[in-house]
Amino acid sequence: MKWRRTGSALALALLLPLAALAAAEVELSATLDTDQVALDGTVNLQVTATYASKGEPGDLQLPAFADFDLVSRSQSEQVSFAFVNGAPSFHRTIVTALALTPKRAGDLVIEKVLLDYHGRSYGTQPLKVHVVPAGQAPRPQQNRRRPPDPLSAFDEPPPEGLDPFADVHPGQRDLLLRATVDNDHPFVGQQITYSLYLLARINVSGIDKLQLPRLDGFWTEEIEAPQQLVGEARILDGVPYRSFLLRKRALFALRPGKAQIEPAEVEVLTGFGMLFSRGSSRRQSQAVALEVQPLPPGKPAGFDPGNVGQWSLSATVDPVNVAVGQPVTLHLVATGRGNVRDLRLPRLGAIAGLRAYDATTTDKETIEKGAVTGTRTVEQLLVPERTGAVDIPALTMDVFDPALKQYRTLRTEPVSLSVSPAQGGRAASEPTAQNLLAAGGVRPIRLRLGSALRGPPPWTRPWFWPLLALPPFGLALLLGLGRARRMLQIDPRQRRVKLARSAAAKRLQGARALLGKGEAGAFYAEVARAITGYLGDKQGVVAAGLTREELARALGERGHAEELVSRVLRVLDDCDRARFAPRSGEVTAREAMLTRADQAIGDLDRSRA
Amino acid sequence: MTGFLLALLLAEAPGAQLFSDANAAYLSGDLARAVASYEALVAEGVASSELETNLGAAYLRQGKRGQAALHFERALFLDPGDDDARADLVEVRRGNVDKLEGESDEAGGETLARVLAPLPGGSAAALLMTFWCAAWVLLALRLLRPEMPWVATASGAAFVLALLSAGITWGAATGRRMALQRAVIVAQSVPAREGPAEKSTSHFEVHEGTTVRVEDVEGDFRRVKLANGLTGWVPASAVELVVPPGWAGRPVMTGSPRAGQP
Repeated sequence: MKWRRTGSALALALLLPLAALAAAEVELSATLDTDQVALDGTVNLQVTATYASKGEPGDLQLPAFADFDLVSRSQSEQVSFAFVNGAPSFHRTIVTALALTPKRAGDLVIEKVLLDYHGRSYGTQPLKVHVVPAGQAPRPQQNRRRPPDPLSAFDEPPPEGLDPFADVHPGQRDLLLRATVDNDHPFVGQQITYSLYLLARINVSGIDKLQLPRLDGFWTEEIEAPQQLVGEARILDGVPYRSFLLRKRALFALRPGKAQIEPAEVEVLTGFGMLFSRGSSRRQSQAVALEVQPLPPGKPAGFDPGNVGQWSLSATVDPVNVAVGQPVTLHLVATGRGNVRDLRLPRLGAIAGLRAYDATTTDKETIEKGAVTGTRTVEQLLVPERTGAVDIPALTMDVFDPALKQYRTLRTEPVSLSVSPAQGGRAASEPTAQNLLAAGGVRPIRLRLGSALRGPPPWTRPWFWPLLALPPFGLALLLGLGRARRMLQIDPRQRRVKLARSAAAKRLQGARALLGKGEAGAFYAEVARAITGYLGDKQGVVAAGLTREELARALGERGHAEELVSRVLRVLDDCDRARFAPRSGEVTAREAMLTRADQAIGDLDRSRA
Repeated sequence: MTGFLLALLLAEAPGAQLFSDANAAYLSGDLARAVASYEALVAEGVASSELETNLGAAYLRQGKRGQAALHFERALFLDPGDDDARADLVEVRRGNVDKLEGESDEAGGETLARVLAPLPGGSAAALLMTFWCAAWVLLALRLLRPEMPWVATASGAAFVLALLSAGITWGAATGRRMALQRAVIVAQSVPAREGPAEKSTSHFEVHEGTTVRVEDVEGDFRRVKLANGLTGWVPASAVELVVPPGWAGRPVMTGSPRAGQP
């Protein structure tokens, strides 16, 4: 009885979970393989639904994944039977695996997954993921929900080698864009190769957009730009990956110092074809830091900084046996590895007996085994101008060989031209040029030293322009002075006219002086002279020799009033009479005469004016 | 007798012995010594087209095209009729790296300068002064003594001759003004920048031997214009004026080159 009780309890204990499962019918759970991931990494979400019965699995509703890109989705199913007390027990487990890549850094949340099953809704808990920026390795996970990733054991970077992925540790990332250079300490002008690889452990169906970084400070040349994705199997940290070369470029640093190649970006199409879980994901490479070294000291004199690389130099002349005046061509060829466009070839100097024309330069670039190689050819036409041997000296060019890290001087072989006289036997009409004397070349130097006047020209001297202005000014001054002198000269007649009134006044003054002396005759004579003198000076009428009628007519013709004329004539008549009259000695009469004469002259002067 | 005196004067000319030594060095192929001796004569203040021509030839044989072009240009400034200097300058330019393309808006100017340069400006200025003064004196005589009719004709002729002399003087002055702005790139290669600073953008490079016109000076940079109108700022050390400061009464350039020009 006791055994039966004990057995019953055991059976009950075994059956209880099944009973609970049967009661729940389905169990839904969601887990992440990590709670921290880089922005360019991938997080795996595993949704497990366990059913207790057969039938439709229900409708699994995934969240929108607003902060994630769905890279891949796969599903597996497992069915198991168990017999409990002889009764079969059914277990069906469907695992949905999702690969997600975050769209942004920060703390993101994966919303709960829902399952509609037989009219009931089941859901999981939201899951949190911390996303760190691209290129940063997530810190070691302490709460990893699955066994430690064997890849993480190789987080320490191995020593660098030729393998561009030697230091790549993708961790949990399914897609990784990797930029590499083959030499991060190049010399100025030395080629380095920049490669851009996509590493994937998921299927990649194509590349949508590829944005290469700006390569300022470099002269670049395309080496490889594959049109189709060709994967190459690689094992990185023990995990199989496929690497796809996206671009390969040759870079030549233009200046020394620190340089950085910015990250490249690519839009990757994942999945199979158009129908099977196709998705897209953006990836960004890491920046590449370079330390461009300047060319080492010890440059040869005249070294051109563009001459960097492994170069060889040769010079040939074709033909070497030529008639005078016939052109030959000098081929100067530099071949090797490096930036051919920056190469500066030596120039042929002046050669006696050889006239050189302008050189033409042609460049040819090729890519050989990932290295930029090129050939620069300088062709110059030369015309011998004299017969005999004409030597073209060796040409030298200094280059810096970055492989040897030393300067080298390349030297061509000297070439000797054999110039013969021009061939005879031509038609008589054709002139035979035995010695072509073409113009050109540097002329012989002068043997006698002359001197040149270095004084400033006359027009820059301070005296030049004033002296030039002197003659016209002198003439103008001369003419002006003459005119002034003429203007200042006084006509005697005018002078008399001008001074007539004052002369008459002086005579009247003289008559007044005679008044006190009692010389009556002289007094009246002086008064009469004052009037006749005034008439002569001012009026132009010479009274002497004129009768009184003639004098009156002359004054009338000059516009004087008849009353004034008669008054003047009366004064003259009275003077004549008084000179010989017995009563002429009365002082009062003489003073009256002075007054009358003065008034008459004054009236004549005003009337004339 | 005159020839003897001239020979005596030349024999006693300062630097004649050094010039002979330099020539001997040149002819023996010792170009470095020849250049040093010629430069010593230049440093002593000797100005001679022969000296400049020889110095240019020595530089050219050394492969220094910029210096060669500079000294040939100087020889032509001192003696515009120097055929040797002109031919050598053509030879230098034939090998110049810079080949100018496009509209040649300055080419006419250069041609004009070349045409005007040989004009006897000093003699023309002296004749201008003589004819000008004579013309005015005769005019004054005509005004003061009208009874001499030939004076008016003589005065008119003197005015015409003065005008002719003035034209030649003006041409020579114009040519000289253009010559004072001429310069030669002496650096092997130099970037021409948009502004007078190392940080300014450079759109083209000029190379030694190219003749330019200096239009402005700012600090250690000079604004140069090529014959096809391309203009840029280059370091002052990369370009040399054809007429150095101190020559022909030219003042040392401290500001705009135009400021110091007559």
